[in-house]
This record gives sequence, C-alpha cells and structure tokens, in this order.
Amino acid sequence: MSSVVIRIARTMAVLGGLVLTFLVLLTCVSVAGRGMGTFAHWNLLENLAPGLATAIAGTGVGPIQGDFELVEAGIAFSVFAFLPLCQLYSGHAAVDVFTSRLPRRANLVLAVLWEVILSGLILLVTWRLLFGLVDKFANGETTFILQFPVWWAYAASFAAACSAAAVAVFCAWSRVVEAATGRKLMPERGEAGA
Amino acid sequence: MLELGFWSFPLLLLLIFLRAPIGLAMMACGICGIWLALGDSNMFLAKLKTETFTTFSSYSLSIIPMFLLMGQFATLSGMSSSLFKAAESWLGHRRGGVAMAAVGACAGFGAICGSSLATAATMSRVALPELRRYGYSGGFSTATLAAGGTLGILIPPSVILVIYAILTEQNIAKLFLAAFIPGILAAIGYMITISIYVRLYPNSAGTRSPVPYGERLRALLDVWPVLLVFALVVGGIYLGWFTPTEGAAVGATGTGLIALVSGNLSWRMFVDSILATAMSTAMIFFIILGAGFYNSFLALTQMPQEMAGFVLSHGFSPWLVLVLILAFYLVFGCLMDSLSMILLTVPIFFPVISSMDFGLVSYVEIQADLAWEALSSGAAEGMAAETLQGIKASLAASVELTREQMDALGIRLTKGMVNRIGSEHLAIWFGILVLIVVEVGLITPPVGMNLFVINAMDRETPIAATYSSVLYFVASDLVRVALLVLFPSITLFLLW
Repeated sequence: MSSVVIRIARTMAVLGGLVLTFLVLLTCVSVAGRGMGTFAHWNLLENLAPGLATAIAGTGVGPIQGDFELVEAGIAFSVFAFLPLCQLYSGHAAVDVFTSRLPRRANLVLAVLWEVILSGLILLVTWRLLFGLVDKFANGETTFILQFPVWWAYAASFAAACSAAAVAVFCAWSRVVEAATGRKLMPERGEAGA
Repeated sequence: MLELGFWSFPLLLLLIFLRAPIGLAMMACGICGIWLALGDSNMFLAKLKTETFTTFSSYSLSIIPMFLLMGQFATLSGMSSSLFKAAESWLGHRRGGVAMAAVGACAGFGAICGSSLATAATMSRVALPELRRYGYSGGFSTATLAAGGTLGILIPPSVILVIYAILTEQNIAKLFLAAFIPGILAAIGYMITISIYVRLYPNSAGTRSPVPYGERLRALLDVWPVLLVFALVVGGIYLGWFTPTEGAAVGATGTGLIALVSGNLSWRMFVDSILATAMSTAMIFFIILGAGFYNSFLALTQMPQEMAGFVLSHGFSPWLVLVLILAFYLVFGCLMDSLSMILLTVPIFFPVISSMDFGLVSYVEIQADLAWEALSSGAAEGMAAETLQGIKASLAASVELTREQMDALGIRLTKGMVNRIGSEHLAIWFGILVLIVVEVGLITPPVGMNLFVINAMDRETPIAATYSSVLYFVASDLVRVALLVLFPSITLFLLW
C-alpha cells in the first residue's frame, strides 16, 4: 500500500516538474523570440543591414502569443501535483521547538490531529475545485488571447488535486494506525530526494 | 468583529507552536474566522471554488518554482567549486583566508541561487573538506558556512524578496537592486568577523602559501558563467527586458545549461532536482494559500488598519516602532522559518510602518535635485536674470521653490509625487531590513536551520562548538542591521 502511494506521489511530482520545465523553456523561447523581433526592427540594424533585418523579420520570429496563459494554466497543475509528495514526506513547514519537550504520546496525538485536519482540508479544497470546474465548464469562459476554455486548466488541476486527496486520505489513515499500533507506515521526513 | 481579528492572532500562534503545519493553521484560522465573522459558510465555500486555483495559477507567483528550480540546477552546476577555488586562490593565504573564501564563494553562489539552505548545503560540500585540510577548527568552519549561507537569500535573486514584493505590491526589480549593497556589506562584515576571530583564537585557523597570480586569474575566469547568468537575470529584470517570471525562466535555463555542460545533470539528478523543487514549491504555495485566507479574514475585521490607527494615534516614535518590530522578528526568527514569518506578519506590520513618517525623502531635496538637473541641461538660457538669481538663492538656502520658479525651470513636481516615492522607498527599506533580521534567525542558536543543516554534514563537530562560534557572526549581523536602520540611504541610494 505504502509503496503504491509513494509511487503515485513521486510520479505526480515528476509530471508536475516536467510541466514546470516545459514552461521554463517555453518562456525562454518566447523571450528569445521577442528579443530577435526587437533586434530585427532595431533602427540601427535596419539602416546598417536592411537585408539582414528583413530576413530576420521575415522568419516571423517574435514572442509566443499568450505564453503567460500557458504558464498560468501549467503552473497550477504543477503545484497541485507537488502537494502529495509534500504531505507524504512531511514537507509542510511547522515549528517543533516547543513540542519536542512534550512526551512521546502527546506528540503522536498531535501528529494524528494535524494530519487528519490537513487531509480534511485538502479534501475540502478538491471538492470545491470540482465546483469551480463545473462553473467554468457551464459558463464557457475562455482565456483572453489563446481562447482556450478555462475549464481545461481547472480539469488538469482537478486531476492533480484528486491524487493529492488520495494521498491525503492515506496519510491520515497511516498516522492513526501508526499511533494505535506503533507500526511505521509513512516514509521519513525529507527522504523524497533520495 | 474587530475583537475576532485581534484574538485570532494569539490563537494562530498557539496552533503553530503546537506544531500545526503553518499553512494549515493560517488557512483553518482564516476559514473559521470568515465563517464566524459573517455567520454563514457560503462565503468561504464560494471563495474556495476559485481561490486555490487562482493562487496556484498566479503568474507573478510562478516565479517561485522557477527560481527554486534554478537554485537546484545551480547546486548541480559545479559552479560552487569554481567559485570557491577562485575565492580561495585570492584570499586563501591570509589569516583566516580559507574561511573568507568560503564566505566570498557563498556570496557568488547566492547570485544564482535564491535559497539560504541550498547555498549553505552546497557550499559546505565543497568548502568543509578544504577548511579541515588547512587546519580550521570544526565549530569555526561550520559557523562560517552557516553564516555564508544566509547570503544566498540576501544577494538577489531571492525567493523571500519575491514574496515580500507580492505581499506589499512593490517592484521586484527595485527590491533586488536595493538588496544588493546590504548583501555585499554582509559578505564584507563576515570577512571582518573572520579576521577578528582568528586573531582572538589563533589556533582555530591554519595558514597556506599564496598562489601565483597567473593561476588566480585563471581561477577567476572559470566563474564567468555565474556572472553571465546573474547579470542576465537581475540586469534583464531591472532593465525591463523581461518580467521577473521570465527572468527566472531564463535563469533556470541558464543554470540548467551549465549543469548539463558540466555533465552533472543526468536523468537521475534531474528527477532529484524536480523532487526537491516540488517539496519546496508545495510547502511555499500551501503557506501562501493559507496566508491568503487568513489575510482576507483580517481585512474583513479591519484589524490591520485599526492597529495602524492605534499606533499612529498614540504618537509613538516611528523609530521605536520599527525597532520593536525588528526585535520581534529577531526573536521569532529563532523559532519559525523566514518565509512563514513574513507571510504571517507583513500584512499586519506593513500597514503600521507605511502609515509612519521616517523622513526618507524630502520635497525640497527632490525639487533641488530636479532644479540642478534642469539648470545643467540648459534651462537657464533665456531666463530673466532675476528669476535665475531667485532660484539660485532658494537652492542655496534649501528653501522650497515657488510655482513660478518651477514653471521657469520647466519641472513638474507635486507633493503627491513625492509621497509616492517616499512610500515606495519606505516599503523597500523595510523589506530589506525584515529580510535581514529574519535571516539572522537562521543562524541564531538554538534552532537556526542553517546550523542544523551544516552540522549534519560534519559529524565530528559538536553542535555546541558551532553555537559558540556563530555568535560572532550574529553580532556582525546586528551591527549591519543597526547601520541600515540608521542610514537608510545605504539601501536606497542605488534607486535614485
């Protein structure tokens, strides 16, 4: 069970990372294209080497239209896809200075409490996102430049959020079992990179 | 409703101190607060439909995963060892020189990496063995690297500054520019600290013979990719060639290429970079999401404005308030990570600070600057002699120019424009100060994160040894904060 969940979390994170990498490259290409376009219409170049200027302009280089809309849609998917990994490996920032003085039992109870609430919240977010998706689907809203339906982006994010919800349920359940039986189910904090 | 706002803060802190994930605590407090304040659940349920997606798909926030990825690639680029070699060949033969070189290399690495922990960890891998080899004591070495790591976040690009810029609606490029001089000052301060330390404890550092100049130059040439990426990213953002997000994308591609060329970026390492980026990104965005809910709840209760009004109506000295806020950050920085602290407190403290007058800009001075500029570019030609006389007299006596004199000079300046510049400078100055004091928390015992990370890499050194050495660096930080508070122009003069 645990190994399946680990695989889901890591696969989602890698997928999100690949989307992020793609967006990074896309943005770079767009910047380079815009730079070349500006270069082609640069007065000095047009005067000195009109042939070269027209040649560059003629290739149609320029920024990628609506690149930022793709960035926005993609980055939302990435962040949702990163959530399961973060919860599974206890990556969320917390302050443990004070609780480290508490007895072990109290710490176990706190761990269960926060994990259950966190998972509940992620389920809530996923559930509400579905309604957001339904709204966007119903009103047919599209993005400004590329004119693709906004619900596509919502759907991608919702798919990633579902994996986050599944992992969240596993995490909450594991913490409860861990506290009750002392058996270790969750991977250690910060082992994801290894 | 106002009471609700005030009481939520101690409750939030209690939850956080009971080890609730910080983003979770903020989001739960925010949602429950909105629910209680409005008396029904429809508002936050409706908000949740779009709020999460809108936060995660924010174009200006997308800079964060890109900068994180850039930092991950930077750790693989092999640039850490080139930087250390270059710094070491120039500084290594001095007393405490290898430690100074480590600080210098950290500063260089900070220019392509926006995270403190990554800088500290990466530089430690390179510098700790060398420090050991030249007979530097364990605690001194780890403390040096922990302090050096904070340069990662001071020297732009910096993830925390990005968050601050978004929270306070400031220009990221200007904040980066303003952080530059304090970052350099930090590096110099640490080097001075090192040279004092090795004179106090001569046994803590060994010596080494100087390296010939030819070799030094060659080592220096090897760091050109760092300079190129830094200049392209920070320069490009500042000159308006591209947006900050585009700059981050260019930077990530740049460091990715360096890593690829250096042969360190295998598929396995690439996946590891992605996983590390994923962990930090999810953590940061979850806190931002929680902070969004908590802040909209606070705004609903009008607590921040009330607080600012309260402080203002009691006529506290702005400087006293500033010092108290910075002291608060110093104490809490020892307990909480810097990013959470900024997201938690800036929405409350910033309205207070920005309602106060620190006299950072003066109408008369700006007017005089503009007047001199106009005069030197030939506005005096064709002007009646007595008008010119009058203007020069006013300038000499630092008296405000009249409307007619300004018209004659062809300059336009209103009190509103000066106020806008003033509040921008205040926001930037405050941001840099906050950034520095929260970073001090990273190296303050007993819970400085940097200390743990580095100590974990050096098993032979007891943490107590690191603690006692790092206090010298903390002292150097405090001196720098005092300087920056007393002389705002150190931070701001690059912006003129």
